[in-house]
Amino acid sequence: MKTFTYNDMDFTVEKVGKGWEIRKGSTVVASGLYAGLADAEAEAKSIALAKTIYPVGIRIIGPDVTHPVTVGDIKYYGPDVTHPNFIYWNKDSASQPKQL
Amino acid sequence: MEIKGKVALVTGGGNGIGEAVVKFLVNKGAKVAVVDMSQKNIDRVVADVKAMGGEAIGVLGNVTSEADTAKFIKATVEAFGQLNIVVASAGIIKDQTMLTLDKETGKVSRKMGLDKWQPVLDVNLTGTFLTIRDSSEAMVNGGWEGILVLISSINKVGQVGQMNYSSTKVADALLPKIVVGEFQMRGIKNIRCVCIAPGYTATPILAGMNQEALKAICADIHLGRLVQPEEIASGIAHCIENDAINATTLEITGGLCYKGGIAK
Repeated sequence: MKTFTYNDMDFTVEKVGKGWEIRKGSTVVASGLYAGLADAEAEAKSIALAKTIYPVGIRIIGPDVTHPVTVGDIKYYGPDVTHPNFIYWNKDSASQPKQL
Repeated sequence: MEIKGKVALVTGGGNGIGEAVVKFLVNKGAKVAVVDMSQKNIDRVVADVKAMGGEAIGVLGNVTSEADTAKFIKATVEAFGQLNIVVASAGIIKDQTMLTLDKETGKVSRKMGLDKWQPVLDVNLTGTFLTIRDSSEAMVNGGWEGILVLISSINKVGQVGQMNYSSTKVADALLPKIVVGEFQMRGIKNIRCVCIAPGYTATPILAGMNQEALKAICADIHLGRLVQPEEIASGIAHCIENDAINATTLEITGGLCYKGGIAK
């Protein structure tokens, strides 16, 4: 079992029976994954999958009324495009098969 | 195509027909990605699949968003290594007649607004397009055997009060002809496309309906009752398993008739 915090969310990946389970808090996000794979590989894949299902994307935090870049009272923080799990919809869509 | 061991993605998988399809396919041995707009519904369905001993992932996603579509397809392939069955069952209704008249003056008192028109087109038609476009892309480039299942409705014939909904559902029913024609033209032989047109089905959408009106509807169904979501799921499973069913729309209505007994 491994727990980790990602993008302010708490996840657990754990082998349950033959497959692996991903939980966000106490909620099951995925079950029965990667049966037959070595534990280390399955754990790594489960962690990566959790980050794909919950991509960093755009986080809106506000209002930061003192910030110079504002739209009304709301400061828009852009996406973290340097994050390894950030999804470029056009690029990833076109390149998806090449990653398999 | 045998369902056992295949990977399915079901949009709108959090309730109604979509949920029934998820559970039916899991029972047949498929691994399933449950995509929905409601995290609560996703969590419930994934928990149910886990209790069934099945394999599933739940992905929150809006089918009208290209980014979300890329996300849920990527997550499915990442989880299960391939994609074979796509059931685009996400759909909404926002019923209203185009014009409403004032009873006293006979003048128009209300028009259907874009707030009722556009979201229905976005989810039911654009969402379906994006789902099958990007799923086909993955299937073609992955070289996987696949089938795209679209959900139309018996109301594709044109239901009053549903100018928006019926327009999308007649379009959805048309898509398999075009998609398979284009696959043929491009030499894509590994993917089929079919559409299911359910009749009045016992889903949460109908549960909120006026029960007297519902009783009147049932009187026009030869079967004498609403179609159950599991019966739609069973029809979809048959389409998946029978490779000869392709480029067509299958109505599953229980025998919906006009008053007087002529089948619609």
